[in-house]
Amino acid sequence: MLGLLTGLSLTGCSSWNLPNVLYLSLSTNSDQTIDATLLQDYREKLSILNGGYRQIHPSTYFQFSLYPEERIIQAMQRRTGAGLGPDVLFVNGETAKRLVAQRLADPFPINAALAQQLNPEDLQRMRITNGALAGLPILIQTQVACFNRKHLSQAPTTLQALLSASAKGHRIGLSIELTSLFWSAGSMGAVDAVQQLESGQTVKPDAKNSLTNWLSWLQNANHQQRVTFYANQSAALNEFRAGHLDWIPCSSVSLPSLRKTLGESLGVASLPSGPGGMASPINRLRVFALGRSSSQAGRERALAFSRFAVNPLVQHNLTVGAQTVLPANRFVKVPTQSSGTLKALSASKSSGQRSAAVSDLLHQDDPRIISAQSIISSLVFGEVSPNKAANDLIHLFQKER
Amino acid sequence: MRELLLECQGWLAYLERPSVLIQLLLAIIPVAVSRRARQRRLIKHWPAEAYPFLGIILLTLAVLGLASVGHSFGLTLLLGLFWLGWFSLHLLHRLLLIWLPEEPTHQLESRLLRPAFLVAASIILVSEVDSIQDLAVAPLGELFGISINAGKLFEALVVIYLVLVGCGPPAAGLAWIAQRALGLRDGSRKAMELILRYTVVGIGLVIVAVQLGLNTNALIAVAGGLSVGLGFGIKEVFSNFVSGLWLLFEGSVRPGEVLLLDGDPCEVRRLGLRATLLWRDRDNAELLVPNQTFFTEATTTFTASDRMRRSQVSVGAAYHHNPSDVIALLENTALSVSRVLPHPAPKALLVNYGDSAINYALRFWIANPLDNSSISSEVSQAIWHAFKQQDIEIPFPQQVEYSMVWPPEKHQSNNGRT
Repeated sequence: MLGLLTGLSLTGCSSWNLPNVLYLSLSTNSDQTIDATLLQDYREKLSILNGGYRQIHPSTYFQFSLYPEERIIQAMQRRTGAGLGPDVLFVNGETAKRLVAQRLADPFPINAALAQQLNPEDLQRMRITNGALAGLPILIQTQVACFNRKHLSQAPTTLQALLSASAKGHRIGLSIELTSLFWSAGSMGAVDAVQQLESGQTVKPDAKNSLTNWLSWLQNANHQQRVTFYANQSAALNEFRAGHLDWIPCSSVSLPSLRKTLGESLGVASLPSGPGGMASPINRLRVFALGRSSSQAGRERALAFSRFAVNPLVQHNLTVGAQTVLPANRFVKVPTQSSGTLKALSASKSSGQRSAAVSDLLHQDDPRIISAQSIISSLVFGEVSPNKAANDLIHLFQKER
Repeated sequence: MRELLLECQGWLAYLERPSVLIQLLLAIIPVAVSRRARQRRLIKHWPAEAYPFLGIILLTLAVLGLASVGHSFGLTLLLGLFWLGWFSLHLLHRLLLIWLPEEPTHQLESRLLRPAFLVAASIILVSEVDSIQDLAVAPLGELFGISINAGKLFEALVVIYLVLVGCGPPAAGLAWIAQRALGLRDGSRKAMELILRYTVVGIGLVIVAVQLGLNTNALIAVAGGLSVGLGFGIKEVFSNFVSGLWLLFEGSVRPGEVLLLDGDPCEVRRLGLRATLLWRDRDNAELLVPNQTFFTEATTTFTASDRMRRSQVSVGAAYHHNPSDVIALLENTALSVSRVLPHPAPKALLVNYGDSAINYALRFWIANPLDNSSISSEVSQAIWHAFKQQDIEIPFPQQVEYSMVWPPEKHQSNNGRT
């Protein structure tokens, strides 16, 4: 009511033309804290989108609301129930699927012209059981390695090199959050095992061995004097930002805040490979989902804005401007030659294809994730053996099916 | 600040949605109908308090209707719950009156419960249309180089308000404990309570300033700026405030003290930031006297070292009565009045030889200075009855009127002689 009254007073009571507002809700990652810096960061990034859109539709205004990823579903249940939900939600792909499944978002009505601009794999990831599209892919956030150039001249390219660096006195930070740690499963060749676990298949002996190997590496890493495991990714980020760590895995969305703190000292590289192959970072497909509370005009604005967001020029600007995300439009060429960061992001995107299925199956507030993290925590701190931890994980996922 | 206002302005566009308009209407109509029905007493035999239930029934029907057709109903439900909550506060008022007196109940309701309800309702309503978390971090501007955001400002205002409103009962409790432990008088307890309140408010303001991130240098700069401002602008206000604090520490004007103001004994009810509230027994008037009046002017108090007052009644007795007998009778009479203190003993004095009577003064002590008028009246009545019983005459001047004639030589006295 207060807002409505303020709005009335600001617009002047003589004019009853309501402003054309596009309500946009965004989810933040678990390693991001909503504060003034993050708000400003999001505003700056989105200004590339909405600034361009307003050149074509000057009468449209944008209103953003940020929610932590784990709370956005709950917030949308409340807002949609009151008819006050946003027109567009900018969320992770799997969240969009859950929103549609819970009837908090409408499937995206994609046409052939729009679909052919996007990667078929990305579109496939966003398909729900009836074949409808849960959200329109816009960007890809990847996981990369962040290192402090002042202390570490080059990022380790293998797991062995990573442990050697720690042996030489470099401080390495890891998080026990499964989504932050999963990249090492690829390096140790355990992706297939985890995928079998998640999909409820019987885990084959070979797969169990690779799972145990991965868990052994994690336990061994914690035995290194200068490798520290943190309870969550934000704790590791804070330590890295404060200069207490030399190398951490980090999400590409954390790069702007790290750049502000570390400046030129921040190095970005691909995550280390290992005996099992390339790393398997969990990359996030960020999509536009359509809110269910929109008026007819609001829905039209939402669709027009979505189409605008995948426009190649806009996608190029988003990629090159922020250097924290990759475009969903497959016709946009990423200038990897001119930017080391974009090169690392692209490499991470390629190696993350293997973990796409895993990330699609798991969402952040999945109870299995919490239990799995508890098992990994016990393993890392030496309370259980890798073999026991592997059995516990198998039991957990088979029980929950 | 501009961004926050634009954000608020943006909420207006929700009115573009038909589902929002329908919900608003279905929330407003039942409330309006129940109010109208109550004003016109549309349902006979229904007491006025029962009409909100009509609104609740209508709101419930509206929500059920919306739900049955698969329409959004959260907003109607929420507004209905707000209205129900507001109505519940009325009911709570009656419940509170069972345990608490009228004044504390009113204060609790108007200063804490209703503002808390309105703030909570506003936050819930805003969270329906926006993310409270990002609104809270919206920057409002800078204060002494510190960035202030909406959340910080809101927290600071809530803390200051709670400290101002809520420090009363804990301060009173602590003062009560101190009174029990140290054997303080009521006046001292009240003074201690007020000092504790000012201390808590002061500390609360400093904590809020520190919480906002203001450094001590900035606080000193504020204090410096304020002192100049105080010197020129609000000198009187500040003077009264400091006078009030000084009087509290000095203990000369504390709640419960009895002062003589313009010849009337008045009880100090409250020592405020600017003025002292006095109560005058004579006409039940409450007087607001600026604190600096007591600071700069001489004041008569009956309660500085004890609460006793020496009172006096004057009376005349005929010349033919032995003064010793009259004095003894007066003293005994005073002792017979229950509210006259036996110690120090009443004392009667022969004051002077008047035109028609020997004038006596009866001095006696009373426990409560404010009872002076009524006890003096009782003593005077007792003297009249005692004198009557002992045949002691209370003479009064008698005058004889006669008419003069002109010229004076022709004037004759009353007995006919010139």
